[in-house]
Amino acid sequence: MSAQPAPASAPEPVPSDDARILVVDDLRSSRMLIGSVLKSAGFSNIDYAGDGIEALERFEAHEPDIILLDIVMPRMDGFEVSHAIRNRFDSDVPILVQSGVQEAEQRVRAFDMGATDLVSKPINAGELISRLRLHIERRRLIARLKRYQKRMDEELHTAEGMQMSLMKEAPEVDAITYPRQARMETFYRPSYKLGGDLWDVFEIDEHRFGVLMVDLSGHGVSAAINAFRLHMLAERSEADAGDPGAWLARLSDELYEILPIEHFATAFYGVFDKRDLSLTFAGAGAPTPVLRRHDGSVEHLDASGLIMGCRSGGQYGNQRIALQPGDRLCLYSDALYENFDTPDGALSVDELSALIVATMEGEVREGFTTDLIQRVFGSMPESFPDDLTILMLEVIQP
Amino acid sequence: MDYKIEEGGAIIKVRISGVLTFDDHERFKSVVKAINESDSATAEIDLGETKMIDSAGIGMLLLANDRAKKAGKEVRLTGANGHVLKVIQLSKVDEIIPVES
Repeated sequence: MSAQPAPASAPEPVPSDDARILVVDDLRSSRMLIGSVLKSAGFSNIDYAGDGIEALERFEAHEPDIILLDIVMPRMDGFEVSHAIRNRFDSDVPILVQSGVQEAEQRVRAFDMGATDLVSKPINAGELISRLRLHIERRRLIARLKRYQKRMDEELHTAEGMQMSLMKEAPEVDAITYPRQARMETFYRPSYKLGGDLWDVFEIDEHRFGVLMVDLSGHGVSAAINAFRLHMLAERSEADAGDPGAWLARLSDELYEILPIEHFATAFYGVFDKRDLSLTFAGAGAPTPVLRRHDGSVEHLDASGLIMGCRSGGQYGNQRIALQPGDRLCLYSDALYENFDTPDGALSVDELSALIVATMEGEVREGFTTDLIQRVFGSMPESFPDDLTILMLEVIQP
Repeated sequence: MDYKIEEGGAIIKVRISGVLTFDDHERFKSVVKAINESDSATAEIDLGETKMIDSAGIGMLLLANDRAKKAGKEVRLTGANGHVLKVIQLSKVDEIIPVES
């Protein structure tokens, strides 16, 4: 086995780097020295300034990727430059301050004035290059992440608009319910841009309309995608949606085909018929609907039932209640009463029901859903921990 | 959530405490794994100390049940009370996973 001959002593190619570096130093000889160190390390895009004022001019003319800054300079010192860049120009460009090892107080002050890091003075070539590369890389990484985040935000925003458009606007709902002797109020807010709640109100025939409220398990993007799928399935079979139990059973079977095992949906589906003012409904594990009769009495409907999409052949029974003008029914998703941060603070059905009924007191008026949210949460929260849907159906006078 | 596993003979017992939610997804994977790798034919998931469960938590129980079944094992839920019991009753999960009080 023979030893490999040593490679000919050709200099290792230096990777070139076009990061824009602004070197600020009042001594021409220092600038020259630093410039040659940078060039031999492959940096090709170097700018120079001889004092603080000139540094800010250069900065304004073309913002660098990193600044190598001396402290003691005529006209304007490095502290002021650093302070101006952070405050006046509101820039987070990395600033490396050259500082003697002994000058402890100066070093602390440099950080106070916005320095990112220190390099020793006089310049040590190896240290200078290492620190420059570190901060340039870090800046590039952050820029990449910011670009990525911006793109994701834009995409989520677009998707959010698409999802919101699945839900009808108030005038569309009114056009369906008023001719059928009912009024509905709706509220929907995803916990984070996209959500897994879905509601719909749609015509069945001239006498009847359907009210669907679904909560897909989980939240965020995956729940939203499942909500889109379910919306498609539901829309396809709206025509024969007159039998709530059979309709949920079919939706459940279809969901079972497409959902992963750990995903499912809870649902309430009801058909209101103006001929006898009845509501025929079926539940699939939906939160308990609260009905306040026109005379003030309160009933809790049973919307329990096998969650949809967990197995094929699930059965959902129909229930039917007779309603009268002035009766008001509230449907809601579990975000209205669950509290995972403080489990003991979660509302029981009776507690929530009392709040719902109190909100329903009085004359017919708009704003039930926002009133209810304020009663439950104390005020209108900026955001909710989970997707929140509230639907209120009221039978009106003919 | 936290969990404790007791293995002994025919039954592997997993006690889940705290709240079982979306955030526990990763940790719950080790519960699924422990059940499937045990020699016991029956897994008992004890929810006696589980304070709350969300839809993702129910999903995890469904997943554990499905994986165990595929490995020829049985899963049952025990001890559910309070919020967890209400969720189970509302969602009729007992039609899929046997529930014992």
